[in-house]
Amino acid sequence: MSRAIVVSYQGFETVFGFKSVDRTALYGRRRRVALDADGKPCTRASLLDDGSLLLRSGMTGQGYFTPDGRFLKQGDLEAFTPDGISLPKVPSTIGVPQDLQGPVSPAELLDLKLASIYVLQAETLSPALKAELDGGAIFRFAFNFREDYRAETAFLLANDNGIFALVGTPVMYEWSKLDVMVELPADEMDTDDDDDLDFDF
Amino acid sequence: MTAMRRLHISNAGARNAVIAATSVQPPPPPLMGKDGQATTFRRFVAAGEGTLDADLSAGLGDNYSQALIDGDPEVAFDVVGRFVDATQTVLLTEAGEPLFTAPQIVEISYGPDGGELERKEPTETPATVSDALPARWTGRKMPIGDAVRKFAFKRTLQLQHVDGVTFDFLYAMAKELADEQVMVLLGAGEKGKEPLILQLNGSPYRGFLEGRVDGERYILLLHLSNMELKSPAAKGGQEVQP
Repeated sequence: MSRAIVVSYQGFETVFGFKSVDRTALYGRRRRVALDADGKPCTRASLLDDGSLLLRSGMTGQGYFTPDGRFLKQGDLEAFTPDGISLPKVPSTIGVPQDLQGPVSPAELLDLKLASIYVLQAETLSPALKAELDGGAIFRFAFNFREDYRAETAFLLANDNGIFALVGTPVMYEWSKLDVMVELPADEMDTDDDDDLDFDF
Repeated sequence: MTAMRRLHISNAGARNAVIAATSVQPPPPPLMGKDGQATTFRRFVAAGEGTLDADLSAGLGDNYSQALIDGDPEVAFDVVGRFVDATQTVLLTEAGEPLFTAPQIVEISYGPDGGELERKEPTETPATVSDALPARWTGRKMPIGDAVRKFAFKRTLQLQHVDGVTFDFLYAMAKELADEQVMVLLGAGEKGKEPLILQLNGSPYRGFLEGRVDGERYILLLHLSNMELKSPAAKGGQEVQP
């Protein structure tokens, strides 16, 4: 089975078709566009710092290079930890039944660095799972869109608007203690703003 | 990896303080390499000036495959393979020429279906939370289970004390929320009814505080959402391809 999220709860499988949903799909978006003297949209290019070459769209590539400048193809790459321990590939979970864990505490979902949201369309839905979701239960399951080296975590939940899978990576927060203080930054800064206003120039 | 900012916040009693807010990130992805040797992901020059498909078609005609075999006109040997590090952005006119005057900027709004709705002169949207204006405790509380099933929280800031006084200040907020197992909505602006905008032209967010307490330790998190959990109109979602 492909292109389906399949979960197993109490021995019964539920199959969901899925679509990604983001802020743009719900509310639209704004972007700022630079216009030339004729009122036509400008395109963006990059000038090398020494001014020797103007890089237009399509003139660059990107890839992985060894310290001695050797290019490695994607298929030749391996993954490992900072300690040098080799990591196995994690297969895609798409179309592969995943055990649901839970119901879990709603607070668990708050520890997720959210990366993707999918709205789910049940092709088959186990009655027991439907009852749990309708009652507000939240479940956790392993999710990996493509085969790679790190699986993500997904949470399954429902509300009046449908059934959703929220996918991301868990974050660990450290306890704040009286004797451990942080220094107040001097200036306003923000390096993590997921802004909906695109600056298209 | 963390990024820290200042955050001005007031509590239920309208007492306010400027504290530290940290964006805590998940562990970094694995290192990629070969034979235990880490690699770096780099951008490089793949084509020189005048060697893209449109350039070659213009000079050699559409069927230029034999010319590629005969003379390698697509390879600019002097620049191809060079790593691209620091660059400066240059705007090009529709004709592809560098723009030497300041462009006119327009702000375009698009609907969920991608259609253009409005085109206007950009206006600056000031931050609603600043050293002068705190994010305010509204008193509107919501069970955690209800909040996570209603809103998508894409950003979270961990609020931390910067001295003993602000420890008490934040600990008390965390404890109240933890004891009640709820989140509280923060408001912004003069009356505390506006969404949180943390920087000039930033996104407006709904902000909810969540607290955890363990003895004399606390975790106080500001969860930010600019999106409800809703299903888009029929055409709004994006088909996903594994």
